[in-house]
Amino acid sequence: MDRELISKKDLLELTGISYGQLYRWKRKQLIPEEWFVRKSTFTGQETFFPKDLILARIDKILNMKDDLSLDELAGKFSPLHFEAAVAHHELSERNIVSMVVIERFSTPAQLSGAESYSFEQLLYLHTVDRLLSGGEMSLDEAGVLADTLREHFPKFEGKPCELLFTRKMGVSSFALVSVPADVYYDAGVKLVARLSMTEMAERLSGKLG
Amino acid sequence: MKEEQKWPDLKINGVGNATGGRYGAVLIDGVCKVTGDLRANTFKANGKLKVNGHLQADDMRIDGIIDINGGIGGEHLQVNGLFKASGNCELERLEAVGGFSIGGLLNAGTIDIWMQAQGKVKEIGGESIQVRRQATFRNSKLWRWMMPKLVPELHTDTIEGDDIDLENTVAGVVRGNRVTIGPGCTIGRVEYRTELHVHKTAKIGKEEKLG
Repeated sequence: MDRELISKKDLLELTGISYGQLYRWKRKQLIPEEWFVRKSTFTGQETFFPKDLILARIDKILNMKDDLSLDELAGKFSPLHFEAAVAHHELSERNIVSMVVIERFSTPAQLSGAESYSFEQLLYLHTVDRLLSGGEMSLDEAGVLADTLREHFPKFEGKPCELLFTRKMGVSSFALVSVPADVYYDAGVKLVARLSMTEMAERLSGKLG
Repeated sequence: MKEEQKWPDLKINGVGNATGGRYGAVLIDGVCKVTGDLRANTFKANGKLKVNGHLQADDMRIDGIIDINGGIGGEHLQVNGLFKASGNCELERLEAVGGFSIGGLLNAGTIDIWMQAQGKVKEIGGESIQVRRQATFRNSKLWRWMMPKLVPELHTDTIEGDDIDLENTVAGVVRGNRVTIGPGCTIGRVEYRTELHVHKTAKIGKEEKLG
C-alpha cells in the first residue's frame, strides 16, 4: 500500500511550524518514530511523512496545546492505551461498527447491554468490519480473524504491528507482524490486505472522539 | 508525575562491574562497565565508563571517557571529555565540552557544544544549536596531518533547528530559521528562513532562502 508522502520541508511550510517544534514533539513522543520515513532524493537523504496522518496529528497538537501540557498530550496520543468502554447501543447508534459484525462477534452479555466493550475488543471488531465491508473477506474468514486478533494481538503489548491477510489457492490465512518488517511470499500467494493496527486504532479513537 | 518509589543507589569507586536496571542516584568514579539498560534519576560518572545498553537519566554529568552501546535519553546532559553513543540521543539540554561521536540522531532542545576534539554525529535536530571551537594549536595544518582525530571539527550529515550558530563544522545540509555560519565551516547546502550570516572563511556550496 503506497500512501501519499509529504517531505519535511513542505510540511513545515504548510503548517507553519518550525524545525524546533517538530523535533520537540518527536522527543515527547507526540509523533511516532515510524512516521519518519527516510528516502534518498537528489539533495541527499530527506525525511518524509505519511501526509494524511501527520497533518491530522499536527492539527490536533496545535489545537490542544493551549489547554494541555505536552506531556499530557503525549498520553492522549498513544492510541493502544486508549481507555474506553462503549455500550452496545452506542456502537450501532454512532455507526462505529456495522450491525452484522456486532451481532456476530459479541458475547451475549455485551449484546444485552450488561457488559460494555473495551477498546481492544472494539479494535478487533473495527478491523474485522473494515475488511468485511471492503468485500475482501468472507464471514467465515472474519471469524478466524477475530480469533487471531483476540489470541495474538495482546502479545504485542501496544507495540506497533501490522495485519497481513493472504490467500493461496483459495485458502486464506492471517498473520500479525511487528513493524518495520519486510515479508516475502512465494509466487502463488496473493496479498489481499495489509493493515497497520496502529492506524486502525487511531481511526477508531478518532471515531470514538 | 513524581516518582514515589525509592530506588537504590549505585556507587562505584575504583574498578567495577555493574548490571543495569533502575536506580536512584548513580555515582561512578574510576573504571566501570555496566551491562544492560541503565535508568536513574541522577547520573554522575568520573573516569572511564562503558554502558552496554540504553542510558536514561534526568540529570547526567559525565567527566572523562564514556562509551555507550545504545542511546541516551533524559533532561540535561553535561559532558566534559570524550563521549560515544551508538544510538539516538534525546535530551532537553546538552552541554558538551570535548569530543564525541553519536551514531544516530542528536535531538535536543538546546545544544551547546565546545569542540576540543573531533565530533561525529549522523544528524542533529533541535531548537537552539550552537557549536563553538576552542582556539587551540591543534587547529594548525601540521596537527591536522599528524592527528586528524584531535582536530576540533564537527562532522554531520544534516543540522536542522530554529537558531543555528556554527563554527568548525563540516555538514551536508543545514536548515533553520536564523543561521550563522562561522569560521572554519564547510557546508554543502544552507536553507534558511529569516537570517543568514556567513563568515568570510566559511565555504558554502549553495544558499537558499525559503518562505
